[in-house]
Amino acid sequence: MSKIILRLKEQPTVPLEAEVLSPDTFADLSNDEIRSKIVYHGKRQRRVDDFFDVEGERSDDLELHGNLHRVRWIGRGMSRGRITVHGSVGMHLGAYMKGGEIEVHGNASDWIGAEMRRGLIRVHGNGGGQIGAGYRGSLKGMRNGTIIVDGSAGLEVGMRMRRGTIVIGGPAKDFTGLQMKGGTIVLLSGAEIRTGAWMIRGTIISLVPLQILPTFSYACQYTPDFLKVYSRQLQQLGITLPCDPADGAYELYSGDASVPGKGEVLVWNSA
Amino acid sequence: MGGKVTCTLGEVKNRGDFIIYWGGNPAECHPRHFTKYALMPKSKFLPNGRKDRTVVLVDIRPTKSAKAADIFLQVRPGKDFELITILRAMIKDQKISAEAVAETGVTLEQCTDLVARMKKAKFGCVFFGMGLSMTRGKHMNSAALLTLAAEMNAFTKFVAMPMRGHGNVTGADVVMRWQTGYPFGITFNRGYPRYNPGEFSTVDVLVRGDADAAFIIGADPGATMPQPAIDHLARIPTIVLDPHITHTSKLSRVHITTAVAGISAPGTAYRMDEIPLPLKPALKSPYPTDEEVVRRIKESIAKKPFWMPDGAQMIAAQV
Repeated sequence: MSKIILRLKEQPTVPLEAEVLSPDTFADLSNDEIRSKIVYHGKRQRRVDDFFDVEGERSDDLELHGNLHRVRWIGRGMSRGRITVHGSVGMHLGAYMKGGEIEVHGNASDWIGAEMRRGLIRVHGNGGGQIGAGYRGSLKGMRNGTIIVDGSAGLEVGMRMRRGTIVIGGPAKDFTGLQMKGGTIVLLSGAEIRTGAWMIRGTIISLVPLQILPTFSYACQYTPDFLKVYSRQLQQLGITLPCDPADGAYELYSGDASVPGKGEVLVWNSA
Repeated sequence: MGGKVTCTLGEVKNRGDFIIYWGGNPAECHPRHFTKYALMPKSKFLPNGRKDRTVVLVDIRPTKSAKAADIFLQVRPGKDFELITILRAMIKDQKISAEAVAETGVTLEQCTDLVARMKKAKFGCVFFGMGLSMTRGKHMNSAALLTLAAEMNAFTKFVAMPMRGHGNVTGADVVMRWQTGYPFGITFNRGYPRYNPGEFSTVDVLVRGDADAAFIIGADPGATMPQPAIDHLARIPTIVLDPHITHTSKLSRVHITTAVAGISAPGTAYRMDEIPLPLKPALKSPYPTDEEVVRRIKESIAKKPFWMPDGAQMIAAQV
């Protein structure tokens, strides 16, 4: 199947809400129908071809080019196919997604994969805050799926996430894993303060030392068996987790006692 | 999580026998608060006034309010969230090590004593100020304290209330709430209100440069907001309604002088406990009121064609 290629030709002056940029919408549409789809430029309804040059039709493989930092909701609720972005993207990338794959060669903004249920999001640049989080007033963040950010991340990564995996390559800011209810966050370069605040369940793995909240208590030093399974899984995505007891072990901190929760923060301690 | 357990200042005056101030300095910033509502008044259930009340102040340094308090806890700057989280754990009888508590600048004994007093109180009230809500952690610091107050209700009556300032800021929140369901950080661009602080809140919108016009009523963001936000306000057409010349009005394209609310314009102001109070003007002003200016702008906009291209059609089903 051929690709649909969209190139940004006019930079939006205010945020452009473009949830139509999704394989589910475009899969059965002709080139003319894609061009005439509606995007919201601030409060104004505009057509896709007011902002993008569109090539190709009837495909669930999308390719976007340009600096899309003001374009929001790309791939919202998508359930299949693939989006590749060459450039930066705006907020809510792949929010509510149910399947498929998104790859960004550039930076992404806040709320990547918010409340997603399945699928894979891979950002090669930096991410924003609230990655895989639950929206304000919502009880659950991402329910499943995988988000990988190679660069840094902002505040409240994985806030209220319920299941799934988030991997952050660069440093994350405060409140990583805030009110986590399950799932796994892997921090390859650690995080700032208040990691795992108010977590109920779930696992935060850090490969560098973390500042641990006073409501977490040190339990033991060990290498959990499940990490070998995780490691094998993440290896396919190019991420290596140390899990050989000869190299070192993980310090386990459990908490947060204020909830009181049974979450675990694992901090790698090389031998 | 979340939600606000609150009451009116009348209840604080009549029943509040345990008062905590967190990150605020009411002795200097709310000078009538102690004498009228929280500390001094003799009331139905507290006939001895100040003697029937216990007052705790939590702050990063001793202020004038510390003299008015029975207990002063000096928390290390930026450790408020940690201390509140420890208190949340301690009210549930979770064990916290003394060293972990000491990191916050407060000792374990002080915390144990505070928790015991909080549980023994008949009606506890936490007032929090900008020292809590505007330092690192921001909304999560406030959320922590509100959650602590909510959880204390498993033991005794407990409420929490922000110490609001600047005239009618509470009014803006309250009116937005009953009109849209949300207090702030709202967008109407799809024709219905959506709420997402961080995405739609004023500072963030201006810092990112996402707005192409600004309409400011009775506020002075030019004096308080970060520099990138001010720069953007100067770049875009900014309209200010204000009785005075302010930092914002100086960088605006249009400044409409309006009558001063409460002095020469009537209306309703909301007290910090969200009680609406009528304002009766004492003087006459040659200038129009804010309401009149906004109404006239709205009427002239209504004469223009509707902005949605195909009539009244709004967005189809959400995901």
